[in-house]
Amino acid sequence: MQILIYILKRILQTIPLLVIVSLISFFIIRLSPVDPLAELRLNPSVSQETLQKETQRLGLDKPIIVQYGKWAKSFVKGDLGVTSNGEQVSSKLKERIPNTLLLTVIVIFLTWIVGIPLGIFAAINWKTPFDRILTVLTSVGMAIPSFFFAVLLLIFAVKTGWFPVGGLTSANFADMGIFSQIKDMAHHLVLPVTVLFTISLAGLQRQMRGNMLDVLDSEYVKFARAKGLSEFKVIFKHALRNAVNPLITLLGFEFAGLLSGAALTEYVFQYPGLGRLILEAVLKSDINLVMASLMMGAIMLVLGNLIADILLIITDPRIRT
Amino acid sequence: MRRAVYVILVFVLILGLLKACINRDIPQSEVKNQNTASTFDITYPDNQKNVTVNGVDYLQSQAPIGKFKGTFTSSVIGEGPKTFNPFNSKDNISSILSEIMYDGLLTTHPVTGQPIPRLAKSFSISDDGREYTINLRRGIKWSDGKPITADDVVFTWRDIIFAGLGNTSTRDSIIIDGKLPTVEKIDDYTVKFVTPEPFAPFVRMLSTPIAPKHIFKPAADKGVEAFDMFLSTDVKPEKLVTSGAFKLKEYVPAQRVVYERNPNYYIINKNNQKLPYLDRLVYLIVGDLNNEVLKFEAKELDTISLQGSKVARYKAMEPHSDFTIHNLGPDTGTMYLAMNLNNRKNDKGEFYVKPSKQLWFNDVNFRKAVDFAIDRKNMVLNIANGIGAPLFTPESLNSIFLNKDLKPYDKDIEKSKELLKKSGFVWDKQGRLLDKYGNRVEFDLLTNAGNTEREAIGVMVKQDLEDLGMKVNFKPVEFNSLVNKLVNSLDWDMVIMGFTGSPLEPNGGKNVMMSDGTLHVYNMRLAKDKNSSRYDFEKRIDDLFIKGALATKFEERKKYYDEYQKIVYDEKPFIYIYSPTRIVAIRNKFKNVFPTSLGGVTYNIEEIYEE
Repeated sequence: MQILIYILKRILQTIPLLVIVSLISFFIIRLSPVDPLAELRLNPSVSQETLQKETQRLGLDKPIIVQYGKWAKSFVKGDLGVTSNGEQVSSKLKERIPNTLLLTVIVIFLTWIVGIPLGIFAAINWKTPFDRILTVLTSVGMAIPSFFFAVLLLIFAVKTGWFPVGGLTSANFADMGIFSQIKDMAHHLVLPVTVLFTISLAGLQRQMRGNMLDVLDSEYVKFARAKGLSEFKVIFKHALRNAVNPLITLLGFEFAGLLSGAALTEYVFQYPGLGRLILEAVLKSDINLVMASLMMGAIMLVLGNLIADILLIITDPRIRT
Repeated sequence: MRRAVYVILVFVLILGLLKACINRDIPQSEVKNQNTASTFDITYPDNQKNVTVNGVDYLQSQAPIGKFKGTFTSSVIGEGPKTFNPFNSKDNISSILSEIMYDGLLTTHPVTGQPIPRLAKSFSISDDGREYTINLRRGIKWSDGKPITADDVVFTWRDIIFAGLGNTSTRDSIIIDGKLPTVEKIDDYTVKFVTPEPFAPFVRMLSTPIAPKHIFKPAADKGVEAFDMFLSTDVKPEKLVTSGAFKLKEYVPAQRVVYERNPNYYIINKNNQKLPYLDRLVYLIVGDLNNEVLKFEAKELDTISLQGSKVARYKAMEPHSDFTIHNLGPDTGTMYLAMNLNNRKNDKGEFYVKPSKQLWFNDVNFRKAVDFAIDRKNMVLNIANGIGAPLFTPESLNSIFLNKDLKPYDKDIEKSKELLKKSGFVWDKQGRLLDKYGNRVEFDLLTNAGNTEREAIGVMVKQDLEDLGMKVNFKPVEFNSLVNKLVNSLDWDMVIMGFTGSPLEPNGGKNVMMSDGTLHVYNMRLAKDKNSSRYDFEKRIDDLFIKGALATKFEERKKYYDEYQKIVYDEKPFIYIYSPTRIVAIRNKFKNVFPTSLGGVTYNIEEIYEE
C-alpha cells in the first residue's frame, strides 16, 4: 500500500517536470536560428507563394507561445502531430523503435551477464595479474571514443569483407527463410553490438569491482569471515547483496538509455534506429519529431529512476521504513 | 626497469597501429595527368523508335540485346524518401525515388538535349507556339493492366497540377501573366495543351510524370490535405500502380528501397521482348558520403558518384578492379562570388550596405578587378584536385544554351590594378588599397560553414584579393543564418554560394536573374522595394528573360540567352568560379551503359543488364 502511494506521488511529481522540460526544449529549438525552410528558400524554382504556404502549414507565422500551446494540447491528447513532410510522427517512431530496442537490449543483456561476474571476480582476486589485465582492458574500453571505435570496425569490415558495412538487413532479406533472416540480422548486429558492449562493459565492470571492494573491506564481512563462514557464503550471501545496490540505480539509467543511448554508434553504422531519424529532425528543426523524441527521453529517464527506486525498496530493507 | 620495458612495448604497439593507418598518398603530379575515360568515345545506340506489334505502340530500344536477370544497386544519401507520390515530393531524393516509377509524356534526349517522346507516341507544336498536340501510344498499360489513355493525362494536368495539389512548383513555373495553360482531350489517344502566350519552357514541363487516374482520383477529390498524405512512405507497395520500368517492391525505412520489374512496360528490345532486363533495382539509403564510399568498396553498391579528392584514388584502383570510371563532364551547379549591389535603406532608414562600400560594389571596374584577381585555375587544381573547369557564365558548361563566345581568361593582377586606378583607387605606402575618399577597402566575405569546398574557395579568394591590398574578413557562417542574411536582412558585403541550374532551360534561373526574383541575391528586393529603381543592365536582363520565354524557336531563344550571359560576363554581378566535374564509377558487369553529360549513367536503366 505504502509503495503504491509512493509511486503515485512520484508520478504526480513528474508532471511539472515534464512541462518544464517541454517548455525549455520547445523554446530552445524555435529560438535557434535554424530555419526549416532554408533549403526551399535557396532553391531557384520555388516561388514566393509556395514559401508562404509552407510557412502557414508549419505554423511558423504564429508566435512561439501559440505554437507551443498547439503542440502541448495535441500531445496531452496523445497525438504527436505530423513531421514537416506530412508523415505521422508516431508511425515514424514506430518504424525505428523496435530496431533501436533490439540493439540496446542485446547490449544491456550482454553487458550485465558478463560485466557483473567479471567485476566480482576482479574484486575477489584483487591485485592479482588477472585483475590488473582487466583494469588495463577496461581503461582502454572506457577511453576509446565510441564513434572512433565504430569507424575502425567499419574499415575492418570493408578490408576483410567478413561483415556487412552497416545496416540491419541485406537487400534480399524479404526473400529469405526465417532462419536465414535471423542469421542475416545477427551478422549485421555483430559490429554495432561489439562497439556498445565494449564501452558499457568497461564502466559496469569497474563499478561492480569498486562496490565489491568497498563491501569486502567493511566490518560485517570481516565479522562474517571471523565467524568462520565459508568464503562462498561470505561473498555471495553477505557481500554481493550489499554491493549490488548502487547498480540498481545504474539499471534505471540504462533503462533511460534504451532508446537514446546508441545514437552515435547507430549513425556510424547506418543502423536504422532512432538516432539517425532524430539527428536529421534536429538539423531540419522538424519540431514535432524532435519534441516527441525529447519527451520520450525525459519520460524514459523518469520512469527508469522510478523503477530503480522501487527495486531498491524491494531489495534493500533499510530503505523501506 | 621492468616498467620501462612495458612503456616501450606499449609505444611500439601504438606506433605500429598508427603506421597501419597511414595510406600511401598518390603524388600530386599523377593527379594532374588524370584523363578519366571520357564519355565521348562511347558509341551510342540509335535512338529508340516506335514500333507497332499486335496493335500496341511500343518503343523499341536499339541497344544490344541483353539477359533478363540481375540486380542493380545504387544509393541515395540522407534519410530516404518522404513520399512515393511524385506530385508531392519536395526534396530531391523523394523526386528521384518516385519518378523512377512514373514516366512522363516526353523526355530529354540524353545526348542532344532535345525533347523526345516517351509515354507519348509523338507530339507537335503549332506554328504560333501555343498549341501542343500529344499523340499517345495505343494499347500500353499501367502495371495493374489498365490502359494508359488521354483521361490519365488530362486528369494529371487539370486535376492535380493545375488544381495546385501537392508540390506546386510545376504549376508556379507555367503561370504566364496569371493565367494557366489549358488541357483538353481530343480523343482517347490525343491530348491538346494550349498556353495563354507562346511559352517555350512549357515543352520541358511535359516530362512531368503522368498519374493513373483510377488510383489518384479518390485522393485528389478529397482535397489538398488528403493528397499530401497520399502514397506517403507507409503505403503498401502493391498500391502503387506505375508506368515506369520498375514498381515498388519493398521500402525498409532508413535502409533501402527495392523496385522490381514492371511486367507491362512499353519499351521492348530488338527481339520485341518487354524490358527492363534487370529483375531488381535497389537504392540503399546511406547517411553520408563516407558511408557510401565504404559500401561501394565493400561491393554493396554497383555505382557511386565521386568527389574531387577521391577520384585520384579510384583512378589508381581502376586497372585492377571491377569498375570503370566515367567522366560526365561539368556539373550543372554554378558556384559564384557575389557582391551586395543593394543601394536601398531598410525599415529603420539605415542602408543595408554602408554607403562607402556601396561605392565600391556598384563600380563595375571594382567588380572586374576582383574578377581578374581570382585565380580560378589554381582553385580547380587545389580544391577540386584538378577535376573541374573554370566557369565564367551563369549557364553551366554543359548547358545547351551556353554562350560559347565568352572566352575564359587567366588571373591578371596588373589588369586588376589598372581597373582600380581608373576608378580612383590608390595604394598607400604599406600597399593598402584606399578608395578615392581615402577609405580603406575592407569588407566581409561570407559562406556557409561546414561546406569545406566553399570554405577552401573563401580562403583562396581572400588571399587573391589581399594581393590587391584589400582587407577581406572571411567568415563562414551557419547555413541558416546565411540564408537569412541573403534573403531577409540583406546585411552582407560579399558571399560565396552556389545554385543548381538546369542544362536545358535557362528560364529556371529567372528567380535569380530577374530583378524582382525571389533569389536575386546580388540586389535582393524585399516586398516593399519591388518598385525601386533598377540598374540598366538589370532592366536589359529582365527584358531578355521575358523575350526568351516567349520565343519558340531554339535559335531565337539562344540569341536572347546569349545576350544575357554576355551582360553577366561584362557587368559581373555574379563572379562565377568553377564547375566540378561529375565522375561516376560503375561495375563492369553491367552492360549497355552509355553515360552522357545530360543524362548521367542510369537514364537508360531499362536497357542496362547484368552479364
